[in-house]
Amino acid sequence: MANDPVDILIVGAGASGAALAWSLSDTRMNILCLEQGGWMDPAQYPSTGAGWERRRFSDFSLSPNSRGRRDDYPINDSESPISVSNFNAVGGGTILYAGHFPRFHPSDFKVKTLDGVADDWPIDYTTLEPYYAQNDQMMGVAGLAGDPAYPPKEPPLPPVPLGKLGETLARGFNTLGWHWWPSDSAIATREHAGRARCINLGPCLTGCAQGAKGSTDVTYWPAAIRRGVALRTHCRVREITLGPDGMANGVLYHDAAGALQRQAAEVVVLACNGVGTPRLLLNSRSKQFPDGLANRNGLVGKNLMLHPYAMVSGSFPERLEGYKGPTGCMLISQEFYETDASRGFLRGYSFEGVRGDGPVSTAILSMAAGELPWGAEHHDSYEALFDRGASFVGICEDLPETHNCVTLDPELVDADGIPAPKIQYRLSENSEKMLAHAVARAEEVLGAAGATRTRVQAPLPPAGWHLMGTARMGTDPERSIVNEWGRCHDVSNLFIVDGSIFVTSAGVNPTNTIQALALYIADTMKQNLANLFD
Amino acid sequence: MHDEATLDDARLTTLAAVLDTIIPPSPERGLPGAGELGLAPSVSGEIERTPALAALIATGLARIEHAASTATGFAALEPEARERLLREDAATEAGFLRVLVPQTYVSYYEHPRVVEALGLEPRPPYPLGYSLEPGDPSLLDPVRQRPKLYRDC
Repeated sequence: MANDPVDILIVGAGASGAALAWSLSDTRMNILCLEQGGWMDPAQYPSTGAGWERRRFSDFSLSPNSRGRRDDYPINDSESPISVSNFNAVGGGTILYAGHFPRFHPSDFKVKTLDGVADDWPIDYTTLEPYYAQNDQMMGVAGLAGDPAYPPKEPPLPPVPLGKLGETLARGFNTLGWHWWPSDSAIATREHAGRARCINLGPCLTGCAQGAKGSTDVTYWPAAIRRGVALRTHCRVREITLGPDGMANGVLYHDAAGALQRQAAEVVVLACNGVGTPRLLLNSRSKQFPDGLANRNGLVGKNLMLHPYAMVSGSFPERLEGYKGPTGCMLISQEFYETDASRGFLRGYSFEGVRGDGPVSTAILSMAAGELPWGAEHHDSYEALFDRGASFVGICEDLPETHNCVTLDPELVDADGIPAPKIQYRLSENSEKMLAHAVARAEEVLGAAGATRTRVQAPLPPAGWHLMGTARMGTDPERSIVNEWGRCHDVSNLFIVDGSIFVTSAGVNPTNTIQALALYIADTMKQNLANLFD
Repeated sequence: MHDEATLDDARLTTLAAVLDTIIPPSPERGLPGAGELGLAPSVSGEIERTPALAALIATGLARIEHAASTATGFAALEPEARERLLREDAATEAGFLRVLVPQTYVSYYEHPRVVEALGLEPRPPYPLGYSLEPGDPSLLDPVRQRPKLYRDC
């Protein structure tokens, strides 16, 4: 029955909330998830109808500010060169992500020890390894064993085809003797757990109509719901409430009609991403926590990491069939991943191959880049651009800095009147040098692959997909928000499982690690049920 | 998908000529001009969803007709003259083309005739999808020969 107290209340049904819910469901506890968005209908995704490309610039824009759906909340990102890209629905950001699914490297958990920067994680690669493998199965990861950039791993599905475009880029890497490998991808390349195989639709970033991309509405959630987890949609949590004992005792949320409701719970788990989670904590003020819940040390919202992207696109003389196949899943290069101080910066980056665009996107993006004039020169320019482009994004490791942060905007509110987040972010000198290195190396490999000219965007403005570090984990309550298994130092029945808890960002897409962490935290909770709050 | 325009026939004729100037025909590629493709009503309708932009377009079309200053109007000018006039207008009133050009690009490059002329099937990606060759596995041979790249720790 609605609003009866529950054992576990999860806020957010995206990547991490889904994984945690599924894992905890075998305890037979009473588990409820509140999600501010609704279920998406794949039959309505843009790729199913006419005008499919224009919708990436309107109702399926990456930016919540552009989409303006009621399910979204606005984000003031005017003081950041990188804007936030997210989605609010069952599945969260996985609805619009590319599905590029690399793991962290072992060294990513030891950055202080190895490179003298930031902090080591309180856990290591070995801790997460079994959860990566479990997540690979649940999300349906395609890839190829034998990558020399990683400890041995066995992706359960065959890799996404390279296609003509991918082979062209691979030959460029081989010419230079640089590392590359077929990407680990959350793309079902054959039928997997009831999901149809990928049919290379192309526009993964506007939702997968085929259901082949591993968004959690088609992976974890059906399994979790079968096992008894309740998922209540269009419920936007306003604040977490505290009992007189200083423990979280539930939440206040707005239902679909905007009415304020109360949900009591024994345990509250936040899975709202690296912007949504600090926003909710900062909106949860009380006498015990006047600066926001779990924020005695003032670090909630601090150390925001975004992954500066260097996007370098090459133009090729021949057509590449780049509009076919998963947009961002093809190949990865980690030639420049591990620290080499001679490069002038610490830590490193991955190159992720990106396929081409359809006719409309080619026109709009080229126009925005100043490469497609109107008038008599139009067709010559367009002919040189359409289906002749291939790109890399250099995903640069971002290190934590307290001035990069999420706060509450003093004026901006969402549709329910809840204060909206504001992000303040600037690139570090290390990131600037890394971006410049990535740009130069990308131009080099594109040239080796046959590109006749290149176009650079660094940092790529709309690349705020990866929201990390704003409630980080650690063993020292003065320097972290949660402990080594996601439990808040200040409130022992409040857990956080999303990218907020990252200590550092690595140089890869974070979703696989976010979910592996959620599975690890769920397992640790299960092992400690008898003394969960001690 | 598109709202119909509220412009009168004369203004739609001018708009069609503007669209043909933004994307002219290219007979050698089998590509029509954007105006010739009949996009004026839909482009205008799409823009008119935003009242402020609708006024911008109406005002812009009137300004261009006035600048053409011929009895037969902007549409009767030679293509070079039309482009020159539009560029002169854009130099002082940039908003008109800033709104019109992207909307023209979207409408043009999603039109089935254009999509076919580009060598693609005029259909959305789903449900048929596309086939991709698996690729040449020997391309990975040199990478397989490399020692491990990750650090033990």
